[in-house]
Amino acid sequence: MSDIWQGQLEKIDDLRWRIPKSYKPGMRVDGIIYADEKLLKDIRHDKAAEQVANVAFLPGIVRASMAMPDIHWGFGFPIGGVAATDIEEGGVIAPGGIGYDINCGIRLMRTNFQYEDIKDRTKDLVNTLFSYVPSGVGSKGDIKVSAKEERRLLVEGAKWAVKQGFGTEEDLECTEENGAIEGADPDAVSDRAYERGKAQSGTLGSGNHFVEVQVIDQLYDADLCDAFGLDLGQVMVMIHSGSRGFGYQICDEYARGMIRCLQKYNINVPDRQLACAPVNSPEAKQYLGAMRCAANYAWANRQCLMHLTRESFEKVFSMSWQKMGMSLIYDVAHNIAKIEKYTIDGKEKKLCVHRKGATRAFGPGNPALPERYQKTGQPVIIPGDMGRNSYLLAGTKKAEEETFGSTCHGAGRVKSRSAATRSVDYGELMKQLESKGIFVRASGKGTIVEEAPEAYKDVNDVVKVVHDAGISKRVCRMRPVGVIKG
Amino acid sequence: MRKEYYEIIEHTADIGIRVKADDLAGLFSKAAAAMFDIIVEKKEGNKGIPFLKEKRGDSQFKIKLTADNLEELFVTWLSELLYLFSVREVVPWDFKINNLDETNLAAVVLAESIAHYRVKTEIKAVTYHELEVKKVDSEWQGKVIFDV
Repeated sequence: MSDIWQGQLEKIDDLRWRIPKSYKPGMRVDGIIYADEKLLKDIRHDKAAEQVANVAFLPGIVRASMAMPDIHWGFGFPIGGVAATDIEEGGVIAPGGIGYDINCGIRLMRTNFQYEDIKDRTKDLVNTLFSYVPSGVGSKGDIKVSAKEERRLLVEGAKWAVKQGFGTEEDLECTEENGAIEGADPDAVSDRAYERGKAQSGTLGSGNHFVEVQVIDQLYDADLCDAFGLDLGQVMVMIHSGSRGFGYQICDEYARGMIRCLQKYNINVPDRQLACAPVNSPEAKQYLGAMRCAANYAWANRQCLMHLTRESFEKVFSMSWQKMGMSLIYDVAHNIAKIEKYTIDGKEKKLCVHRKGATRAFGPGNPALPERYQKTGQPVIIPGDMGRNSYLLAGTKKAEEETFGSTCHGAGRVKSRSAATRSVDYGELMKQLESKGIFVRASGKGTIVEEAPEAYKDVNDVVKVVHDAGISKRVCRMRPVGVIKG
Repeated sequence: MRKEYYEIIEHTADIGIRVKADDLAGLFSKAAAAMFDIIVEKKEGNKGIPFLKEKRGDSQFKIKLTADNLEELFVTWLSELLYLFSVREVVPWDFKINNLDETNLAAVVLAESIAHYRVKTEIKAVTYHELEVKKVDSEWQGKVIFDV
């Protein structure tokens, strides 16, 4: 583990910690880290807090540079970082504030099954999912996309997939941005990015991407569970994936290109990985156009993956997915930037909200939400790690007021991949998981070991902080029973 | 994890390398070899890519790059190879650097089909974090972190 961060942290309350802007000359606002004492110990073990301070340098940044409790070190921005910039005041957009895996995100499906119904078929199900869903590094999809179709896919996102027969209109209603963000510009995407993304539609990817079959093992809010149609023992399916090589290439190219913008627009940041440009600049507009293409690519990808998952269930249970009640609860992005309106000091402002390893969490009554979630608030899906729990939360008005409608995204790593590989024995880990009734298939032993539960913070701790802070509400908790990993 | 020609740097979510060489071309070559040693392993026989050459190259790629400074050139070089790997499905193993200064690079790279390899780790991109390309006494030293 790297050196312990010795920087300044003032306690605001048990769940909020301030890095005062006096900590580092050049900080325009304070940093605020959402964490309890326990999580703070881990947070001090990597340089993420320094990155929170660095993000505060961004021109036009409003209110604070924020960090969610699952924070860990990342590229420029920390993972778990939230920052909003005022577009009219020369506010910037930074590709590091979105990340390489643009629209890495997650979706949650319900089923009509209780765990008892599928218990004896879990191994079959995992094996079928593993054969149906292309996974692993460089995995290729069976879903072929022509060059002309590709441009359409980048604009229509998940809608493109539905048009191909990979889902329904109802799926789109239950996806952030209805599965496609407006303003995608296929001309802003380089040939190289097209090349890199070409074969990867409908593929899972690797590392911490997964398809997980889960069972609800705890209910927290009876009203919200009723409203979402969820019950104890119910079988759920979670899919975690992003924009693959397509997104990585776009981020890489624009992040490097924007380094020149620092001099051009006279921007001072302590880390060149915070390279950025004013949102109203031509460079930023190009990046936004390309970034939105990657976001839509990821939504199309997750829609395809859900289709393949539904087909897997159909194969194992010889029933249509509709009959099995496999509808989509919601799909959220956790690496993205959005242009959203907020009231700052009594004035309505258009802000560029960066959420990097952070999830949107809009509350009840927000017009961005579909009719069915107007009373409940937005479903927020929080994956844990392989051996531990995942959560469904609901967004709150408090999140809109305090964190630009944002909350955590998952558990966050504590151990480096090499440390995990050294300390975790594959055989032991598999025995442990099987003894808990969890069946895992992955394309490589290395992946399983690197993704071992002890490499991550405890998601229960992370979720407790956001719940107690009022920026999302616990709805129910799930435990994994079957996992396929890239 | 120690290898003959590179050292792994621990990082919470990512992975880095440290390399040393007598000259700049050597540094660039070693860093490239190290990156692919992280990404792939040979399917049968020896694991990883030994730094010593063997007669097995399948395809040849000419690479010509420019950048604003040496550090950026280093990142651009590794990124170019990563792109080649992703899109052409080859594993570069031999790096003949013909021309190299602070802002320009020309090389001929030999690469083998990915069919002979198993992918261990996906490297998304080459980052600027804690990037170093410097001469210490008579030795060139490089450090780079990859986003995985």
